[in-house]
Amino acid sequence: MQLFLQNLVNGILSGGILALVALGFSLVYGIMNIINLAHGAYIMLGAYLAWQLFTSFHVDPMLSVPLAFVVLFAFGYVVQRTVINRVVRAPVLATFLLTFALSLVFVTIALFIWTGDTRGVQTSYAGANFTLAGVTVPWAKLLTLVVALVITGLLYLWLHRSKTGRAIRATSMDVGAAQMVGVRVAHVYGITYGLGAGLAGAAGALLTLSYPLTPTMGDPFLIKGFVVCVLGGLGSVEGALVGGLVYGIISSFATQFDVTILGQHLSGTGLQDVVALIVLLLVLIVRPRGLVGRATA
Amino acid sequence: MTGKRWVFISTLAIMGLLLFVPSFHNDYINLTFRNILMYAAMSYGWNLIGGYTGYVSFGNVAFFGIGAYCSAVLSKTGVDNVFADVGLALVVCALFAIVVGLPILRLRGHYFGIATLGVALGLTDLANNLDFVGGSGGLNLKQADQAHFYLYYYAMWAVTLVCMLATFFIARSKLGYAFVAIRENEEAAQVLGISPTRYKVIAWALGGMMGGAAGAVFAPANGFVDPGTAFAVDNNVFPIAMAILGGMGTASGPFIGALLLSGVNEILQEKFLWLHSLFFGAIIVLIVVFLPRGLMYLVGLRGGVRRWLSDLRAFRV
Repeated sequence: MQLFLQNLVNGILSGGILALVALGFSLVYGIMNIINLAHGAYIMLGAYLAWQLFTSFHVDPMLSVPLAFVVLFAFGYVVQRTVINRVVRAPVLATFLLTFALSLVFVTIALFIWTGDTRGVQTSYAGANFTLAGVTVPWAKLLTLVVALVITGLLYLWLHRSKTGRAIRATSMDVGAAQMVGVRVAHVYGITYGLGAGLAGAAGALLTLSYPLTPTMGDPFLIKGFVVCVLGGLGSVEGALVGGLVYGIISSFATQFDVTILGQHLSGTGLQDVVALIVLLLVLIVRPRGLVGRATA
Repeated sequence: MTGKRWVFISTLAIMGLLLFVPSFHNDYINLTFRNILMYAAMSYGWNLIGGYTGYVSFGNVAFFGIGAYCSAVLSKTGVDNVFADVGLALVVCALFAIVVGLPILRLRGHYFGIATLGVALGLTDLANNLDFVGGSGGLNLKQADQAHFYLYYYAMWAVTLVCMLATFFIARSKLGYAFVAIRENEEAAQVLGISPTRYKVIAWALGGMMGGAAGAVFAPANGFVDPGTAFAVDNNVFPIAMAILGGMGTASGPFIGALLLSGVNEILQEKFLWLHSLFFGAIIVLIVVFLPRGLMYLVGLRGGVRRWLSDLRAFRV
């Protein structure tokens, strides 16, 4: 029971950050049909921004989260308006290749500025944790989860209540109809991509609390974000949240999976992503549009 | 003769010239061109399922990895023969494609893409954990001596040529028309009596065999296989990028894309050791922005610059 609870808590704690990572990816994917391979690079840029502020001015990474959001939002908006909007209606693979190339450019620039050395942020509360009913909870991870949930909630409200949010959702439903009622699609696309990049940046700044920094640190998160947003269902805030938590919990329980087949020992810690991916395949076969995905024509 | 036919003949002519690469007796040149051929073969493999059939796979590196590991396991059991390597890889890749393809090819669009990515990542993790393929430490193969070094070049050349010709002839057969019909409208194809499942699995398996053959030649040529080299991210993304740049769903596109992209990458690496990826990325950005449909699009273009600009305008918002 103790082990079960601990695994559940670990899964939820790591699922929160995955949800935040997947959220930005899912928005861009669901609304503009862009597989944003630069998402990992934005996570990395947000992380380095937080690291630089921490190293130069002793700013706590938690305070850098909103700043990383704003800076990367602006950056993403400019990238979308100047580059991606030019080919946004081309077949999906054109933007796939385009964002891959952009990511290459950003990672190389980061490599040039910050070198390939592994960096880390040492906060005063880095190793601190508390125990509740026998379950150990690290403060940094709990804080990360809370911030991730708050951002997700705010985004949900903004998308559903504000005028721009409604314009974004309208554009994702029908570009032509949205244009006809006066939505400026180029601007809305810029905002959407900016949001994607901003959320990635915020996630990156949060990640500095528990992950080491390298210019390619975004890659595993990009792939997990991709999987999570498909698992949950594309383009919806709820989908990213559910997908992230499910993915986190499954891969946490998978660490307990220790078997020996034909003299071959398989340890769960090395196979947690395999187990999560098998679950993804099964989910997709049963529910081809993800866990909370809606059926569309 | 159409423009595309001329391009394909030129492509074959370039392939003929590449047969003379080993006569330079330069290991660097040999290795560079062997890599170009390898990427071309993988790109042809992706092109069958992603380009012709319209099912965009993000996991074709799985087949390359399986092929590489087939050779490694054969070498471990004492068999060092490139024909045996390729033969085993073809069989294993075809079987794997059928077993995995039947469930995941039910998925459409992005969901298929993510499932293939899952397959590739899952295999990577398995290779990292299975002892009989060396785990994360990998396996050494019999080290290629100088004579073998050239042998593997010719083997890769032959694999690529077969992929190219197979693509050309498949595209002009009933099989190829069925693939394109599925890409254009799966329901309509079904109504016409084409079984989508059967043809999708065939496209996926044939493409997988191409990638597997490339991997089977790569492993002994490289002399070493581990999960990082067999399932490398570059080996997953580059072939897709090459097919898009050259022209998806064409018999010349993957080869042209491989030649162009690898060539540019190689030159940049030599000129700017530190910042070469920056320029490489910037060049791809420029190509995509100005030629989002790949180079082969220019071959069929009627109406010159004006048509090109109006086509480009259709893609912007």
